[in-house]
Amino acid sequence: MTARFAPRRAPRATLLAALLLAGLLAWFGAGLHLGDLVPRGNGTAVLGEFCGAALRPALDYEVAPPPGSPPLLAKVLEALRLTVVFAAAGMSLALLLGTLLGFATATAWWSEGAGARAGLGARLLRRVGAPSLHVALRGVIAVMRAVHELLWAVLLLAAMGLNSFSAVCAIAIPYAGTLAKVFSDMLDECPRTSAAALRASGASGVQVFLFGLLPRALPDMAAYAFYRFECAVRSSAILGFFGFPTLGYFLQLAFANKHYRETWSYLWALIALVVALEVWSGALRRKVVMR
Amino acid sequence: MQARARAIGFELRAAGLAFPGTVALSGVDLVVDPGEILALIGPSGAGKTSLLGLLNGRLVPTSGAVLVDGRDLATLGARELRALRTRLGHVPQHFGLVPNLRVLHNVLAGRLGRQGLFASLKTMAAPSRAELEEVHALLERLGIADKLYERVDALSGGQQQRVAVARALYQEPGALLADEPLASLDPGRARETLELLVDLARERGLTLILSLHDLELARALVPRLVALRAGRLCFDRPSGETDARELETLYRVDAAPLETSV
Repeated sequence: MTARFAPRRAPRATLLAALLLAGLLAWFGAGLHLGDLVPRGNGTAVLGEFCGAALRPALDYEVAPPPGSPPLLAKVLEALRLTVVFAAAGMSLALLLGTLLGFATATAWWSEGAGARAGLGARLLRRVGAPSLHVALRGVIAVMRAVHELLWAVLLLAAMGLNSFSAVCAIAIPYAGTLAKVFSDMLDECPRTSAAALRASGASGVQVFLFGLLPRALPDMAAYAFYRFECAVRSSAILGFFGFPTLGYFLQLAFANKHYRETWSYLWALIALVVALEVWSGALRRKVVMR
Repeated sequence: MQARARAIGFELRAAGLAFPGTVALSGVDLVVDPGEILALIGPSGAGKTSLLGLLNGRLVPTSGAVLVDGRDLATLGARELRALRTRLGHVPQHFGLVPNLRVLHNVLAGRLGRQGLFASLKTMAAPSRAELEEVHALLERLGIADKLYERVDALSGGQQQRVAVARALYQEPGALLADEPLASLDPGRARETLELLVDLARERGLTLILSLHDLELARALVPRLVALRAGRLCFDRPSGETDARELETLYRVDAAPLETSV
């Protein structure tokens, strides 16, 4: 108790020293050598060629394609379209599932209320039923998002084969888990004053949740969902590495064939898409959320 | 608009409220007749908010009993308590409005307790013409009719408070409980607001219970004063019979505490 007014310098110094130590351990533990940063062999040439290609992305095939192939730009656009479609489908499923799970795992449902006068059944539900369901659902959510979407893709490819559903589910499952976690935290963290006022006027638990709590959390939830959609687009592009017909597939092929200018056509398309999404979501946010 | 609900009376019987480590209220006896207008006065921490909490069932007394409309709250189940609460209008100190919703929706929320889930979804999504007109008439009475479609967070503190009052009145309650309704207002506004609350209660035949800090105003406008100090009832009499010295003692910081907690 007497130490309460002593200057608290010691913990900060200890923390800094510990962070420094952890950094050094990680550096040597990972076997980092500064020398590795310098490209070897023809690495410099490849790097130069690749970076140079960024400035002149291909508008047509670098090597004549098999007869009957669509023009390169049409191929890029189609890959772009499928990337967005897979992302949107995965995100729609994730939003549905994530919203439901997020609502179900928010503690705001049951942690407050007119408990003292409730009957034994209601009290048991509040004290034992709701908390154990909460823990169980949180566990499910943790598993869903602990596994990365690429790992889900590997699993689902093995189980379902290379079809659109495995790609969409590979995005939907981990994204639903993340959305559920973040949504429930946002709901639990938003101020309870309006919820308390509605409860005082006799509104039911569901009504209090829908009209007192949800509207306050909604702007943040919407902003986060927009951000996750951008992430989903990137994930969807990368899923092409497994053979799904999104940007990643063609990107990988072009790169493997050392068609760097074609690679950049796909890369620029992805970059343009992400920027366009950012502009669109920003505009929507200002219009809908911020009013 | 003048659909009148039957006024509600309250009774506290030796009511006490103890939290771990503190005693918020002890041995409070109080009878409030239907339609009566009274103010709870006393320094901060005297137990005014706790007493209001007991009256609307938000808090459960640790001793004694609370009767609302003749019914002991301790005997009511959750459903009955909810039904009773739909008849008690409450204006919390910090209003409890949803800041990013429009005034209209905040006021409409006052009647949720009497609607089923489906009906309330319909009301909030697309209010009927009758509901719109009723809310508009209420806001007009409160002098903020032009704010119907404004978002609450765009309003001043005084206007937000009127929205909270409108929400409580839209409930068509039998009693109005207001916690420190003048706390965030300048002196001119405070008088105006208190007059408005008292007038509204009179014209609708509502029971009105307010907690107040401003003794001058309380004596001038509220017929009955109930003084609390450190969780106990100090006095309870018509405001005409209170004298300035008595009120001054009530607020004196160095006056002997009546309650030593812990």
